[in-house]
Amino acid sequence: MSSSLPVIQAMLIEEFGLTAEQVQPESELSALGVDSLATVEFMFMLEDKFKLKMTGEPVPIKTVGEIAREVDRMLAEQSPEGS
Amino acid sequence: MRRVVVTGVGALTALGADADALCQALNRGESGIRHLDTPWAGQLTSSLAAPVTIPVADRFTKLRRLMLDRVSQLSLLAAGEAVVQAGIDFSGDDGLDCGIFWGTGMGGAHTLEQAYLESLHNPEARPRPSTIVMFMANASTGQIGIEFKIRGPSHTHSAACSSSAVAIGEAFMAIRHGRVRYAVAGGGESLLTLGVMRAWESLQTLARPDPEHPETSCRPFAKDRSGFVLGEGAAALLLESEETALARGAPILAELVGYGNTTDASHITQPDVGGQARAIRQALDQAGMVPEDIHHINAHGTGTRVGDLHETRAIKTVFGPWATKIPISATKALHGHVMGATGAVEMVAALGALRSGIVPPTAHLAEPDPECDLDYVREGARHLPGIQTIMSNSFGFGGNNVVLVATAYR
Repeated sequence: MSSSLPVIQAMLIEEFGLTAEQVQPESELSALGVDSLATVEFMFMLEDKFKLKMTGEPVPIKTVGEIAREVDRMLAEQSPEGS
Repeated sequence: MRRVVVTGVGALTALGADADALCQALNRGESGIRHLDTPWAGQLTSSLAAPVTIPVADRFTKLRRLMLDRVSQLSLLAAGEAVVQAGIDFSGDDGLDCGIFWGTGMGGAHTLEQAYLESLHNPEARPRPSTIVMFMANASTGQIGIEFKIRGPSHTHSAACSSSAVAIGEAFMAIRHGRVRYAVAGGGESLLTLGVMRAWESLQTLARPDPEHPETSCRPFAKDRSGFVLGEGAAALLLESEETALARGAPILAELVGYGNTTDASHITQPDVGGQARAIRQALDQAGMVPEDIHHINAHGTGTRVGDLHETRAIKTVFGPWATKIPISATKALHGHVMGATGAVEMVAALGALRSGIVPPTAHLAEPDPECDLDYVREGARHLPGIQTIMSNSFGFGGNNVVLVATAYR
């Protein structure tokens, strides 16, 4: 279970006006109207939320679950224990 | 050459949510000018403005407005009103034959200022990824295309105060010469931000607030005029060729018949009587009209000392003795100076006068400047049942002069 998934789902609902049913882990972002630019916007929001620093390299993300996996990976990399 | 008709209008201004609200408020002499109550208003010398006060952002989904500066939100709503009134769906082949001609002076000023503020206050901060696509000058143009599936040529015109008048004029020419059959034409402006307003204050063209009646502070053609009040808003016309309008049975609101566009080539801010007069003549010539054919002028009428005087002289230069016979309205006294959108807002107001037979007043004109001695309709809205032809003047910084002429359709 992703540690960040519930927070990400709640933020998608709050920030983008989506419903709980829409933000399942397997839900495709493009099908929700979240295009690539909106995805980058969302990743910036997640930076602030989780105090992360993204590399600036594009990350291929297609689903809600993939956002959570990317955030989990960065959390692990950037936490004091992970370094 | 094709005849060009108006089949839809839209306006979102300090005077209300649509074109009807604008025209009715103008005729009642209602002012949209007030003191801003934003947290930073105290940093201004004068917080007078003519803001759009109805909720705007809520009209869009959260996802949609993620990419929309306020100027694009206003633009989409005004364009939508015109498209709906025209009763046309551009998602089919008609969308390929429709152009977008949109004017704006400053584009997404709110977005740009926010990005600067964040970046300057915090070197670590990164502007939002959508910053560029929200503040670029053609953001509203592109968003109108996306919203209504309009896929013909798109043009973004930035000519300060005449931007949207240029847009309407160029759309008129494009239809007239057969480049497109339809056009969404107009403009939007939303620049009521601290940085932009302070810059305008430095230019010393803004009205001195009336301490007791701030809503009357902009007084075009008055002896005690002291400048204009910044406003925000958007306005749009749906233009199409006469043949398409007739073929689809669309109600025709008016016919666009003349467009003048000249450059002063003399000074970046000082208006030039000669340049303005040439634009008025061009528009009359294209319309095949003589001065006596013009029944009403919506003046640029900003309320600056030199601007009103020069416009009065330009009108006299072209119209001669007929100048004193034309009811002239300066509606910026009520909806504020909507900058890049103001030409379109005033064209909507003038078309409203043409359709209703009621000419709006030049408000707050208690004592005219002796040198501004034309008929400025200062007594209040005037019934003019025989009105057949209107002219709208828009003169912008940079020395651009634009004049549009429309007639009742027959």
